[in-house]
Amino acid sequence: MASSCSQALKQHVCKSSTILRVHLQKSWPKRSFVLNSAADQQPAVSSPEEIVIPKKKTWSKEAVLQALASTVSRDPTASDYRLQDDPYLTPKTSSEFKLFSLSQESGKNAAKYFINTYPKYFQKDYAQPHIPCLMPETLEAQIEEVSEAALIERIHMRKVKAAVDLYDQLQQAGTPVSLDVTNQLLDLICFYGDSDPAQENVPEQRNEETVGKVQHRVENNNAERIFALLSEPNTHSYSALIRGMVKYGAYSKAFSTYTDLLNNRLKADVNTFNALITAAPEVKEKYNEKWELIVELAEQKIKPNLLTLNGVLKALRRCGTLGKSQAFPVLSEMKALSIDPSLASYNHLLGIFYKPGAPFLGQTDILQEVMNEVSGKSFTPQDPDDGICLLLQRCLLTKAYSVHELLGVGENWRLLGNDLQQNIYYARFFSLLCMMENIDVMLKWYRDLVPSVYYPSSNIMRDLLQALDTDNRLDLIPQIWKGDRGKVIMSWTATSLSDVISVLLAAQRRQDAWEILKLFKTHNRVPSEELLNKFLTCVTESGEVNHAVELVQISAAWLLWQP
Amino acid sequence: MATSLVRQTKLLSIVSSQLNPAACFRNIHCTAACLKNRAARIREGKGDKSVTYEQAYHPHHIGHRKGWLSQHTSNLQGEDGAAERVVEDVFIRRFMYGTFHGCLADEVVIKRRGNLLVICAVMIQKLLPSKFYFLIGYTEELLSHFYKCPVKIEMQTVEEKVVYKYL
Repeated sequence: MASSCSQALKQHVCKSSTILRVHLQKSWPKRSFVLNSAADQQPAVSSPEEIVIPKKKTWSKEAVLQALASTVSRDPTASDYRLQDDPYLTPKTSSEFKLFSLSQESGKNAAKYFINTYPKYFQKDYAQPHIPCLMPETLEAQIEEVSEAALIERIHMRKVKAAVDLYDQLQQAGTPVSLDVTNQLLDLICFYGDSDPAQENVPEQRNEETVGKVQHRVENNNAERIFALLSEPNTHSYSALIRGMVKYGAYSKAFSTYTDLLNNRLKADVNTFNALITAAPEVKEKYNEKWELIVELAEQKIKPNLLTLNGVLKALRRCGTLGKSQAFPVLSEMKALSIDPSLASYNHLLGIFYKPGAPFLGQTDILQEVMNEVSGKSFTPQDPDDGICLLLQRCLLTKAYSVHELLGVGENWRLLGNDLQQNIYYARFFSLLCMMENIDVMLKWYRDLVPSVYYPSSNIMRDLLQALDTDNRLDLIPQIWKGDRGKVIMSWTATSLSDVISVLLAAQRRQDAWEILKLFKTHNRVPSEELLNKFLTCVTESGEVNHAVELVQISAAWLLWQP
Repeated sequence: MATSLVRQTKLLSIVSSQLNPAACFRNIHCTAACLKNRAARIREGKGDKSVTYEQAYHPHHIGHRKGWLSQHTSNLQGEDGAAERVVEDVFIRRFMYGTFHGCLADEVVIKRRGNLLVICAVMIQKLLPSKFYFLIGYTEELLSHFYKCPVKIEMQTVEEKVVYKYL
């Protein structure tokens, strides 16, 4: 009877799950997220692969090196490969790490300056085969006369100002410049915003954004001026201008240029549409208007690409409820066009559905499905928004481990981002670990990641110490502290000293606590009354009368204890 | 000019031997003075001169109590380029001495592995680490471009010069 009951139940479950699946598949036709229950899955039937031995296999030049590199994994005890392996030269905090790597870079730049200023001393070529990157760079343009070839050369060398000046000279001399070259010039100006590109070697300068915003007025003058000089601008010129405007923040101008384009009965290409889609949230207020752009794109029968998908998803983040309903259809249409979503698309998707501060119930399934899609795959960075850091921010602990595993797959380590994003990623990972996991796992990760990959900041250390405290494993403090000590110059504050004393008292190390108490005097700090009370109770418990008497005397000296 | 001098001395010695058969051969010394018994040796003094391990042991101890300061394969049978390596080494040592002025605790060791040139130096902790890194980046870049091969610096720091004994 029980078996027949369970059978009926099983049949019922099967039936309802099939009904549910059919229903869901009707409303979301081409979603590839797996919705089948375990009972429904059939074993995949794969034909046995035949092993074909090729006649000859050619290897790339670096094949041996890659094979050797694959045998070695990361060494958790070593610091970063750029740094020297010496205790004096190893950084202890992330700001020190940044300082050291930046000073090394600036040394390299100083050397490059000398090499390029006095190239005649570096011309002798010992290397066979020739190594072009070790020769001095020729930074000056070779062709001096005013001609189109000289303009092309300056465009190739990315000298924006020189190119614009040369163009003006050409116009004044009356030489016609072909449309292609003018388009290239427009591309150059709009990409670099009318200022010469900053040195690529200078890492992580934050001024670019401010420079960009200030420059956009100047940029518009030059680019627009040259644009106006064109007799018949074509799609390429319009697209360059619109993309430049969107890049440097002139959104409304971009839209007016777009209407110009339509008035001239020209078709925009997919890159223009991508730029306009990114600009749309800033300009249009109503959700529906933003959608019109997509409709126009479809009308003009232009094939969207990955950046379109990501731009649309990003715009949908700001669209509220429209975003939630439209996200999955967009995704499925793109899949139908065989555009694979990148990590950025998943990020935007999560951003649409997980608003900060919103309640978490019932939304974990989307995260689960995203993780199922994403795990085990190797991504290549295709979008500036690709980054593993953001994915981790949304996760709870179990997902955090799978995200971290994702880093180990193939080339995904490239997606970790620059140093700041790496810091954020590891800080989040550690805080999750501190909150959720028990102390042994926590320490295993600590030993693995610190200090080779991550330098914990002070609040992470505080979380860690709290976790140790709650777990009553204060004896592990010396292990962590030894790794951190070095030549840290700390100034003792009253609170830090009292914290240290309470920790030592809890660990029953009275002698050490006594030493620290003396430090109060030397550093001219006054302990709190409750600290002295705690100390007194501890001392009386152990029954050391002399210490108790000394304690009373000390506190009388500090006028803390009233008899 | 040197070959003609050698021939002349030979001629002279032959002539003199024929003239005076019982006399011992007296030849003219015509090479430059090498002073092989005074090179790389610090002589004993009053006992106030501090000396590192490298300086304390004399060149005949190389291979027994000392290692080699410059390691490359040009001195093997059938290999060439030994003279060029020596000139490069001299330049590199002067370069390091000048760039990290006052910081070198001991002689620079130069190792060549394939194309790679590794400069191993022990420094005194005289400068801030960031300044050390600046000079390391500068040296690596400049020497790489100069010698057209990758140059790496492996640095170790000590608090002060390690004294082996006082001579």
